[in-house]
Amino acid sequence: MQTPKSMDISITGECNLRCAYCSHFSSAGEVARDLGTGEWLRFFEELNRCAVLGVCLSGGEPFRRSDFDEILRGIVRNRMRFSVLSNGTLIDEDTAVSIAATGRCDSIQVSIDGSRPETHDICRGPGTFQKALEGIRALRRHNIPVTARVTIHKHNVHDLESIARLLLDTLSLPGFSTNAASYMGLCRHNAEHLQLSVEERSLAMETLLTLAAGHPGRVSASAGPLAEARQWLEMERARQNRAPGFPGAGYLRSCGGVFARLAVRADGVIVPCSQMSHIELGRINRDDLREVWRGHPELERLRRRREVPLGEFSFCRGCEYIPYCRGNCPALAYTILGEENHPSPDACLRRFLESGGRLPREEPVFPAGGETG
Amino acid sequence: MHLSKPIANPLIVLREEFDDWAILFDPESGNAFGLNPVSVFIWKLLDGHHTVAQIVESIRAECDDVPDDAQDRVIAFVQDLLDRGLARLQDGDREPPCG
Repeated sequence: MQTPKSMDISITGECNLRCAYCSHFSSAGEVARDLGTGEWLRFFEELNRCAVLGVCLSGGEPFRRSDFDEILRGIVRNRMRFSVLSNGTLIDEDTAVSIAATGRCDSIQVSIDGSRPETHDICRGPGTFQKALEGIRALRRHNIPVTARVTIHKHNVHDLESIARLLLDTLSLPGFSTNAASYMGLCRHNAEHLQLSVEERSLAMETLLTLAAGHPGRVSASAGPLAEARQWLEMERARQNRAPGFPGAGYLRSCGGVFARLAVRADGVIVPCSQMSHIELGRINRDDLREVWRGHPELERLRRRREVPLGEFSFCRGCEYIPYCRGNCPALAYTILGEENHPSPDACLRRFLESGGRLPREEPVFPAGGETG
Repeated sequence: MHLSKPIANPLIVLREEFDDWAILFDPESGNAFGLNPVSVFIWKLLDGHHTVAQIVESIRAECDDVPDDAQDRVIAFVQDLLDRGLARLQDGDREPPCG
């Protein structure tokens, strides 16, 4: 690609909440000041010249910005579409009207972590469950595409079926995505009280697989227990059958984000990904985005990680899963080990099994006959 | 049609890639359409100053192995763009007959 296809933009570092596992606070993305309106609008003009097709607005909490409508108008004026990641608590009728009027919204993702206030508010703060639901309902009244993100932790892992009922049946959302509280940002300080134990992780995988099978196409994940369950079952099946290696596996192949998009911190610093905001590639309206994209050595280093064989790492030595493994998230490898170009220990199947983890008994999405027993 | 002067819809994004292919992106609908290198060449001439006939001449001048039915193909392509709202005809040009 000559330029990024899309951009993840943290338009503010501020948030009205302090969720216990927030990946933003206590990371390099937590910056002292937000850029002003004019600087974002100028940057959107560059994105237009670069034929960037869409932006994902995040924070902090994007709806904290009093100039949010003006920012949306800038996006529309520069021929892009947008999506927003939000805690949902600041979304009211006026917000929904403004978003609907643009006609350019791909989705608003609202975080919902529980089926009731007790399981949602425990990490997000009192009253946030009801406010987030009100936000979702306001968006739905104006036919704005809404998705939910469920972040799984110790306090909601037993609530997943009820959460699915709330989101899919009661609220009639088209779907929701899942992840788990990851060792990033504030979660690093609360990991013991928040992150899933091996047993809880096994339970989450089994529950989510069942929910996904019962609601085809409506429960998704690109990381966390559901994604791991699917990936690990496939890897285990391949290992047992001595199957040929998966395409691209055996190397640090994850993730492909740096080949399609970039991110910008709230202070205007360009970074490879909002989860790797410590790697500074330049500054908007000072550095040419096209040049950063094509030639920054740090970006090139991340792109070339897919040439690094897993067999080179002592961490992977002797692992039978190497031909089926892609090394997983570089940002998690960094927060755990201080090194992006390393397999992520958090998403290591061998380590999970050695710690007493168990894979779900069966994978409902696989065709019958794919596995015996 | 061959004397019409089509104009690309200025709202549509042309996103070129390294291999000379490109996509046209309509931010209003979110739809995207793939363009081969010749289509990209044509798109860049949809400026309201070039007739379809002139565009075909430009293709013949710039490209190798241009087929005899190039004009028919260009007309079909431009008609497709018009039908999808990705381009319009210069004011004063007559709309082509349907079908």
